[in-house]
Amino acid sequence: KMSEVSEVMTKADIKPKSMHHAKIWSDDVENLYRFQQAGYRDEVEYKQVKRVDEVECWPETGFVKKLQRRDNTFYYYNRQRECEDKDVHKVKVYVY
Amino acid sequence: GFFVSFVCFLLKVRGPPSAGSVKQRPSKRTAFRKFYERGDFPIAVQHESAGNKIAWKVEIENLDYHYFLPLFFDGLCETEFPYEFFARQGVHDMLEHGGNKILPVVPQLIIPIKNALNLRNRQILCTTLKILQHLVVSAETVGVALVPYYRQILPVLNIFKHMNVNLGDGIEYSQQKRENVGVLIQETLELFERYGGENAYINIKYMIPTYWSC
Repeated sequence: KMSEVSEVMTKADIKPKSMHHAKIWSDDVENLYRFQQAGYRDEVEYKQVKRVDEVECWPETGFVKKLQRRDNTFYYYNRQRECEDKDVHKVKVYVY
Repeated sequence: GFFVSFVCFLLKVRGPPSAGSVKQRPSKRTAFRKFYERGDFPIAVQHESAGNKIAWKVEIENLDYHYFLPLFFDGLCETEFPYEFFARQGVHDMLEHGGNKILPVVPQLIIPIKNALNLRNRQILCTTLKILQHLVVSAETVGVALVPYYRQILPVLNIFKHMNVNLGDGIEYSQQKRENVGVLIQETLELFERYGGENAYINIKYMIPTYWSC
């Protein structure tokens, strides 16, 4: 359920072309919320910065389970939704 | 008859004093606070607006649960920030990601749980009950492993089980905020029964006679 990102984009240092704020919650918005809580734009930047191919996710829901921050500490996330409706509009959606 | 009631009227006989079963007990300095101030916990203090997140310096999968989980449970007796926050959130993270490391540690968690419940503090009671609900569903057979310890953790729940407010047709907001002690106790007991195996109900009923099977 993670957003589809091509292998080429994750390897190159690609910057997003535009950004808008999320309006309604979805699985992708939930994962973006989790990446942004950890200090990254999205999955693309996380893979670029941390030099990883995979992000650890909950098998049942597909939501991000664990992220390593830039200071090398770890954030752990719940199996279920964490992004409340009042926080959805704060989530930034980047377009490449 | 008349003489006794006349003497009672004259002497103003009072009933026995309150036993204080629901009175809050003072809390002592916990081992969690001591270890936290010493910097023994692998958690980093985040000052950004991360809300309810702890940043772990070590991956939870590599933590020694036998050492850390009882310590975090000991912190449930705390009410001050940041001790209360780190204890509650730390327990939550460790239970969420512990898997099969939780079951062997269950016997070591009983005394911290009992200490937290015995304080009779409403806030600590609510937090501990939510933690117990999470503990029961955190891994396979944890609910069954808790059954022998019901006699240590259920007596306080028996005291507070009927703590529900009767507002008539008014709205009880503490219910939807999950701060109503009576409702939380009922939810917890139902989870105990559901996940505790075939002996759970009879053991709950022995400690809490007014409980009905869900």
